[in-house]
Amino acid sequence: MENPQDAIAHAPLPTAKTLRFRRNIPVQIWRFVAINIKMLNMIRKGHNQK
Amino acid sequence: MARVLILGAGIAGHTAALHAKRLLGKKNEIIVVAPNSNYNWIPSNIWVGVGKMYKEQVIFPLAPIYKRKKIEFHQGLAKSIYPEGDSKTASPFVEIAYTDPNRSNEFARIKYDYLVNATGPKLNFAATQGLGPEGHTVSVCTAGHAVEAAASLKDAISLMKLGKNQTLAIGVGHGTCTCEGAAFEYTFNVDHELRMAGVRDMADLVYITNEYELGDFGVGGMVFTQRGFQTTSKLWTESLFRERGVRAILGAHVEKVETGKIFYEQVDGNKNVLEFDFAMLLPPFRGVDLAAFNKSGEDISSQIFAPSGFMKVDADYSGKPYEDWKAEDWPSTYRNPTYPNMFAVGIAFAPPHQISKPRKSPNGTVIAPSPPRTGMPSGIMGKLSILTIADLINKGSDAKAHSASMAKMGAACVASSGSGLTKGSAAAMTMFPIVPDFQKYPNTGRSLKDTYGEIGLSGHWIKLLLHYLFIYKAKARPGWAFIPE
Repeated sequence: MENPQDAIAHAPLPTAKTLRFRRNIPVQIWRFVAINIKMLNMIRKGHNQK
Repeated sequence: MARVLILGAGIAGHTAALHAKRLLGKKNEIIVVAPNSNYNWIPSNIWVGVGKMYKEQVIFPLAPIYKRKKIEFHQGLAKSIYPEGDSKTASPFVEIAYTDPNRSNEFARIKYDYLVNATGPKLNFAATQGLGPEGHTVSVCTAGHAVEAAASLKDAISLMKLGKNQTLAIGVGHGTCTCEGAAFEYTFNVDHELRMAGVRDMADLVYITNEYELGDFGVGGMVFTQRGFQTTSKLWTESLFRERGVRAILGAHVEKVETGKIFYEQVDGNKNVLEFDFAMLLPPFRGVDLAAFNKSGEDISSQIFAPSGFMKVDADYSGKPYEDWKAEDWPSTYRNPTYPNMFAVGIAFAPPHQISKPRKSPNGTVIAPSPPRTGMPSGIMGKLSILTIADLINKGSDAKAHSASMAKMGAACVASSGSGLTKGSAAAMTMFPIVPDFQKYPNTGRSLKDTYGEIGLSGHWIKLLLHYLFIYKAKARPGWAFIPE
């Protein structure tokens, strides 16, 4: 079993730009719309099983 | 006229009750039995547990809703099912004990034609010595527990402000727990609150889990496509742990908890102790204490329920080895094979096996996350059971049952990692299907197009939107039926 602390220490660290994007209001409004569309697709598939 | 009896008023049971009234209510009786007087939107308990929401924002009384919708409501605990009736009663019925304070010590027999078991889990704190609010740890499983957790966290933050370092342990309190996603959410909400309070450097935040790898979430992890590459939820989650400075203990079965000490065993057989100042550990689940009897009064519980206490449905319970597990093992109609007028939905149905690979330590301790089946799948199953019942009533007993297998159903999961309209964040994930289907998707078990993860402020907005939307729906406000499960 690998040491999780080693794995965490070697995981990709988001850059300052990525962190800014995660809180940038216009970008996040766009992501809000995009993720909601993805989720609605999930819901549609789950409700329409043959 | 048929009687549809629904046991439980959580996401599955309450959804079933509202749809039953909508589809069947004019000519049929809809009855709900639930031990609690309030509905609890459990996903938001996380925010109550860090003091960002009041308890009253995540609960509301059920009785006025059911009165308005003309649904018969009994605040009570189902004790036994008689699916064939008994020597004196020809109809099937359920015996209940009232928990309504105005009817304490009263019992009743409620007859039914169709039964939907949506009783949810029994929070099995007793499985781990010293676990839970009556032991040495807090929980966010109920709104009341979450209030206690917030008070305990506030005390820890006060001590840090006085210069005292604190170890905060968050995770699951048994090797067979489920809901790792909720523990993950609480971890990062606590991290966020510590940062907001300016004491993050005083805290050692430790996530202790039965997952073999980070990002497993009880569903065996996921593979996402991001920027032209396939990446795993493991790497994605490890990245968040690195960014936020959270330590992890993986593959852990908590054996017991004493004041300030968690004793745990890991998959490799090593036994260790984690000292803590604050601990929020979720309990394992088992089925509620519900027995079943046949017409002659013989106990048939073992025929109706799995050893875990959850109700058997149309799944493959043959106990095949892990290598032979298939998506088709999972139920699709949620009808009990012995008594097809009984359905079990949400957490109440017995899963055929885990989704994550189960493991055993060299000492024989089972460390295997149980499959999650809360939230969106619960709501869909609740509605599906009523669609089938409506067809059985309206079209006759030959009507084809509706299908909602978790192996053909996607799920959207929004795991909060901090609240705040401009400073919040959440990991928004979708997966399709929930149970991997390696026949259909040989490489990863899931559709790469529909399995997705992203961290950002927008995820927090979605979680907040879902909070208000689903409470609106649960209150059966105008247009509620247009809001999907």
